[in-house]
Amino acid sequence: MILKVVFLLVSLFTVGSALMVVTHKNLFSSALFLVASFFGVAALYVLLEAEFLAVAQVLIYVGAIATLIIFAIMLTRGMMSGRTSPRNDQAAWAGLASVVLGLVLLYVVVFRVQWPVVEKPVPPDTIEQLGRALVGRYVVPFEVASVLLLAALVGAVLIAREKEV
Amino acid sequence: MTLNDVVLTPILPEAILLLTAILILLIDTFLGDKRWLTWIGLAGVVLAGVSAYRLALSEPVSFQGMAVSDHYTAFFRMVILTATALGLLVALNWLDAHGEQQGEYNALLLLAAIGMMLMAAATHLLTVFVALELLSLSLYILAGFERERATSAEAALKYLLLGAFSSAIFLYGMALMYAATGALDFAGIQQGATMSPLFLVAVGLLIVGFGFKVAAVPFHMWTPDVYQGAPTPITAFMSVGAKAAGFAAFVRLFVGVLGVEKVTWVPVLAALAVLTMTVGNLAALRQVSLKRMLAYSSIAHAGYVLVGLSAANSTGVAAVLFYLFAYAFMNIGAFAVVIALERQGEGDVTLSQVRGLAHTHPLLAGAMAIFMFSLTGIPPFAGFFGKLYLFQAAVQANLTWLALVGVLNSALSAYYYLNVTVQMYMAKEETPPRLHWRPVLGLVAAIGVLFVIAIGIFPQVWLGLAKLGMLALLG
Repeated sequence: MILKVVFLLVSLFTVGSALMVVTHKNLFSSALFLVASFFGVAALYVLLEAEFLAVAQVLIYVGAIATLIIFAIMLTRGMMSGRTSPRNDQAAWAGLASVVLGLVLLYVVVFRVQWPVVEKPVPPDTIEQLGRALVGRYVVPFEVASVLLLAALVGAVLIAREKEV
Repeated sequence: MTLNDVVLTPILPEAILLLTAILILLIDTFLGDKRWLTWIGLAGVVLAGVSAYRLALSEPVSFQGMAVSDHYTAFFRMVILTATALGLLVALNWLDAHGEQQGEYNALLLLAAIGMMLMAAATHLLTVFVALELLSLSLYILAGFERERATSAEAALKYLLLGAFSSAIFLYGMALMYAATGALDFAGIQQGATMSPLFLVAVGLLIVGFGFKVAAVPFHMWTPDVYQGAPTPITAFMSVGAKAAGFAAFVRLFVGVLGVEKVTWVPVLAALAVLTMTVGNLAALRQVSLKRMLAYSSIAHAGYVLVGLSAANSTGVAAVLFYLFAYAFMNIGAFAVVIALERQGEGDVTLSQVRGLAHTHPLLAGAMAIFMFSLTGIPPFAGFFGKLYLFQAAVQANLTWLALVGVLNSALSAYYYLNVTVQMYMAKEETPPRLHWRPVLGLVAAIGVLFVIAIGIFPQVWLGLAKLGMLALLG
């Protein structure tokens, strides 16, 4: 019962901050709400007894990615002062369509689905199992992800570099 | 299982391309004449091709259920390596003339190719996703490769933003598929696939994700701007490679794995096919920019391939493979001609620029005419048999109306393809088009013509290969 209440509070916090991210006018505040939302997700992981994931979430998303986003916003603030609007005259129709489709999706996912539940305790050595899975069974996606980072790195250098004439 | 037990064999071609890409990045620093990098890249592609061929001769091997090297994978490796080789070649002098970074271009092209081949080999949704991201990310960067030109940057940004959206949708579909079937690997999904609301939503989201990647209507909005704005060699490469890779995973997952539940998705894909063909062709009619016209034409061609996918039978799968192979040659060939016509610093070629081309450059005009005929689907060129097999599959699957829509669309497309030919041959222009004519572009066009004719004259040979690939999937 207490867990349910905690879960509800944490989810409300997470979804609320996520909503603020997309609705807030100031980009910098949006980034801060994103940090809050990341924390909420970390708390959800804790509730699911996935402590390692929670720590990783805080370290990587809050520690690294959110900081990076905030840096990027601060460094490019001059270019971002809103001269153009992201909306056009079709915003109302687009909004209506997305809301209706989103509600249909939510209705199906929430009310029409018997979510499968596995009644098993969380194994005590999750970190070891995760590590083994990453370099064992999931080694292909794991390594391709590093190739992906290589591509991103090359691209970042390419875009940021001064052009030699 | 630890890293020591891992045998690289099933993904050796991809590993070779990766080593080549890293090698190119490293020696880029020391090399004086950067054009060597293209040849190193080509050598890597050839080596990868040899290893892919050797793999195709042996029994199918799976990489721990994540990726498999079977005949289906082998066929797409052939298509993608071909597109990669031609994509490297068409850029050889283009990069020089535009003063762009050769090392990064070649390396990123190879990285994108790795992602494409892995998409074809993937038998696990996680592999599909990381491969998809690898190829998309490389293409985002390549689309914005000409940093000086605003339209190139616009292309990259649009592609990145919409690509990120579609990746998120695809990921959501993956998550719901996991919830519905209890598995992410294809074998497990096949076992767990039963009709349920959740399954339907998952299938729908995956269709949207794939639809974006292969540029199906109504998920095509990015295509014209990206294809027109991106550097032309990249447009050539991605219009073929990304499409082939997207369809490779699309067909393997939907026909191969979700085939038992095909009543749920065939009507959706058939509707998408009709929309994609019709919108693509109608929009292509009105274009004056050759690149933009080819962009809409590539949307229309995605529609034809969707016809084969909707048929969801063995003929359909073989036809899809055959078509994507034939399309690689006719489309990259057409783009090679466009690159030859390109004026310095413009990055766009209008229809009026081909006026009277046949009088000044008869060979080039002849090649372009053959590509246009093949794209229209006029016998005896490759495109004709491609469409024939696709529509045949639709008839066999009791989708005769769909085949009819396809035929009508081909007739419609004849107008704008043949218009290019008419402009080249009939129109007289006082100032003949000035060309940045380069031997490699001639080579690419010649290879294109050769294969478009060879596939058209001996379609059975290539269809046999496509059928081998199909058998690996449908047994």
